[in-house]
Amino acid sequence: MADDVKRSIEIHIPSELGYEKVAMEAAGAAAKRMGFSADRIQNLKTAVAEACLNAIEHGNKLDVSTEVGIVLTIQPASLQVNVTDEGKQPFPDRPIQPGRPEDHRGWGMFLIQNLMDEVQVSAEPDGGNQVRMVIHLDK
Amino acid sequence: MPEKLEARVRRSNNLAMIHFSGDVTTFAEDVVQNAYREAIRDGGRNVAIDFSACEYINSAGIAAIIGVVTEARRQGRRMLVFGLSPHYQKIFRMVGLADYVEMCTTEAEAVQRVKPPEA
Repeated sequence: MADDVKRSIEIHIPSELGYEKVAMEAAGAAAKRMGFSADRIQNLKTAVAEACLNAIEHGNKLDVSTEVGIVLTIQPASLQVNVTDEGKQPFPDRPIQPGRPEDHRGWGMFLIQNLMDEVQVSAEPDGGNQVRMVIHLDK
Repeated sequence: MPEKLEARVRRSNNLAMIHFSGDVTTFAEDVVQNAYREAIRDGGRNVAIDFSACEYINSAGIAAIIGVVTEARRQGRRMLVFGLSPHYQKIFRMVGLADYVEMCTTEAEAVQRVKPPEA
């Protein structure tokens, strides 16, 4: 692959639990092709699955008439993943306290933030939520 | 699409063993709870969970596991886990679960840890 070419892959999944595995496998395959280590690929797959779950369960409220969009952007030294929902409701914003087993809800965003190199959550102009995640090749 | 979680429970004198196979997700909550109830049915103090046949564990599954770990702690039971891949061992440490369960590599290690001292 030429180093200066940006490549992207776009996937749409139904807002139905289980389809996050399609997105995580696609992200894993792209990362493997780029040369990420097995450990980093596992981190990416978990983060992508959790972002999709947030989008399915919270953003789209499990409404099967909605979709979750996943865009994988392959850059020379990194892989960016944008996960976008249709914004039926904003994401929950509650801090998680690791080490307290009784505080067991909302682990998804905690995992994403701990497994990826860059994470941004934003509200889209059309009302959807977007999670933008980046994982770098050089780590 | 999710691979349904199934549980098999074996009880011996000093250790109840829960063998899970499939995905540990939202759909697993009842299976996890029921397997734990079955494991402690005769009042055993030690419970080990085998994850060696679980390829996918997500945050909802982690929440379900945390639920039974919390219950076991409250009841004064000792919880052990084994068969987790290195990735999920890392996740268990990340969410703090490793502070409340004993992380073992193999079933033999879990059995050895709860073995009563020989007279």
